[in-house]
Amino acid sequence: MPAPDPALLEQMFHRMSVARAIERLMLVHTRERKFSGWWHPGEGQEAAPIGATAALERDDYLWYQGRGSAWAIGKGMAAGLILGDLLGKMNGATRGKGGGVPHWADYSIGVMGEGATLGSVYPLAGGSALASRIRKDGRVSLADFGDGTSARGTFHETMVHAAAWKLPLIYFCENNGLLVGTRLGEVSPTENIADFAKGYGIPGIIVDGQDAVAVYEATREAAARARRGEGPTLIEAKVVRRHGHYAGDPQKYRADDEFDDYRDPVDVLAARLRGNSAERIAQEAEAEVKAAYEEALAAPEPDASVIERDLYHVQ
Amino acid sequence: MSSEVMGYNAAMGLGLVEEMRRDAEIFVLGQGVATGGWFGAEKGLASEFGLDRVIDCGISEAFEAGLAAGAAIVGMKPVINMGFGDFALIAGDEIYHKLAKWRYMHGLDVPMTAVIIFPIGTMGGAGPEHSSCTEVLGMHFPGLKVVVPSTPEDAKGLMKAALREPNPVLFHSVQGLGWARGEVSTDPEFIVPIGKAATPRQGRDLTIVTYGSMVPRSLEAADTLAGEGIDCEVIDLRSLVPLDWDCVLESVSRTNRAMVVHEAAKTAGPGAEIAAQIQERIFFDLEAPVLRVGGKDFPLPQHSDLEAMSIPSVDAIADTARRLFAI
Repeated sequence: MPAPDPALLEQMFHRMSVARAIERLMLVHTRERKFSGWWHPGEGQEAAPIGATAALERDDYLWYQGRGSAWAIGKGMAAGLILGDLLGKMNGATRGKGGGVPHWADYSIGVMGEGATLGSVYPLAGGSALASRIRKDGRVSLADFGDGTSARGTFHETMVHAAAWKLPLIYFCENNGLLVGTRLGEVSPTENIADFAKGYGIPGIIVDGQDAVAVYEATREAAARARRGEGPTLIEAKVVRRHGHYAGDPQKYRADDEFDDYRDPVDVLAARLRGNSAERIAQEAEAEVKAAYEEALAAPEPDASVIERDLYHVQ
Repeated sequence: MSSEVMGYNAAMGLGLVEEMRRDAEIFVLGQGVATGGWFGAEKGLASEFGLDRVIDCGISEAFEAGLAAGAAIVGMKPVINMGFGDFALIAGDEIYHKLAKWRYMHGLDVPMTAVIIFPIGTMGGAGPEHSSCTEVLGMHFPGLKVVVPSTPEDAKGLMKAALREPNPVLFHSVQGLGWARGEVSTDPEFIVPIGKAATPRQGRDLTIVTYGSMVPRSLEAADTLAGEGIDCEVIDLRSLVPLDWDCVLESVSRTNRAMVVHEAAKTAGPGAEIAAQIQERIFFDLEAPVLRVGGKDFPLPQHSDLEAMSIPSVDAIADTARRLFAI
């Protein structure tokens, strides 16, 4: 499986830098403006979404979970739509319905949305994958989830069918080892989430989730396999949740030495870029995010009519 | 216009077949659908449309409903036979959050077609977990359309309407009427619009608002009452979301008396909402309170004799009507 070419590497680094800049900005925003706390920081976990989305085609279907913004950014959504939404403004992706938990969707670039009942996108991704099998459209569906939701019933219900039907589906686990504050080992019989793959007779791949290129390569392989009609793959990216479960979480459940070996995914990817482009790209990303934030602050607030919008479609 | 006599489930199946012929994006999934379905509605589907579009799945209702949501979001038109209305509760997140709210919470005004078939109600000893009337859930959680046909022709026409509807539809087929027969239009363009009630009997003295299994019983009670000088109008709602308030209010404002009859449990059932709205909106047209006749507030017994005693009988409907004139 080839490594990403230099242009793709730069695009990945740009998108990772945008996601990181949003993280930094949201931490300040939460503190200074007493934001509600529905923001779930994704700093430290950006390599997994950036690597995985770089390996997908534009029209592949992405169903993501709600930590950070890197999934949507990685799939090509503009920072302004995300910041506008986080601030609950009319210029956000949901046009005025936002306020922390991401429900960013843009079907035209395969950003299908997020289910906020955690671990709820498995069957939805199964549905889009089945649609691709019926339509023979060559698209791949990716269901992203955290390790904690591997306990959910639909994890099994969906994969049992997807494996039997050889659906073009990727289960992508971001394993940060924590269910809010509970250690995964206390509630899971397996050491790895990827171990579950054996029961379904599908590949279970463990990958360094701090390295976007390693994630890219694993996802590229899984997508190729899906497109060949060989069925689903379970990828487990070992990632680090740098911050609390939610912005403001005091994290008393974490050990003092937990971050001694921490490798920042931004640094890991920067080291793979040619020359000294990293600094320039990071600065551009920061400026882009800052401008989007200013724009969001100035954007109009929703009025009550937004409450009654988008319930039923009229043809 | 030509028509033919057929059973309720067969008519529902015919609606499905006709729509599948005109729209390649429709597929059917459920437990046993490829082998003809539990109640016969899917007979012949697999041989005509192939196993790509008529798909058997394992016992996994949450997956089935979630799959419907995912496939509908990407523009396909899934039809899921959930086997029993009771199983809505197994797939609560997938139906009442994902199917109902996905577009709303993502701020998307786009079409999304999906039909979830929920066979509801008693059928002779199916027991407390296979006999419930769960249609009220679709009234309480916004984002879904809710239909309950009471005749073979409506079963066909509403199925066709549901498959042309750009919103998810909970299609409640009435188990107790599964083998009921009636005239059904064979016109492939015949549909029954969602949100439009029917008035199978016109009358001057009392409006009986009902739907589903209680339509034939209400009509029978109305025949009895006619012999006693009480002339009943019977409204078959057919759709609960949207509900045809114009039809209901117009009728009650003429008859000045109303009662609501359904098989669903009485407490917090659809009749509670209907009675409340009639009283809120046209109180001064009423000669008497709006009464409700519903199923007992107990689980449906396994024993078929006890089951029969748990839902409204023709006599109970007639008795309640008489009370309205004794007040």
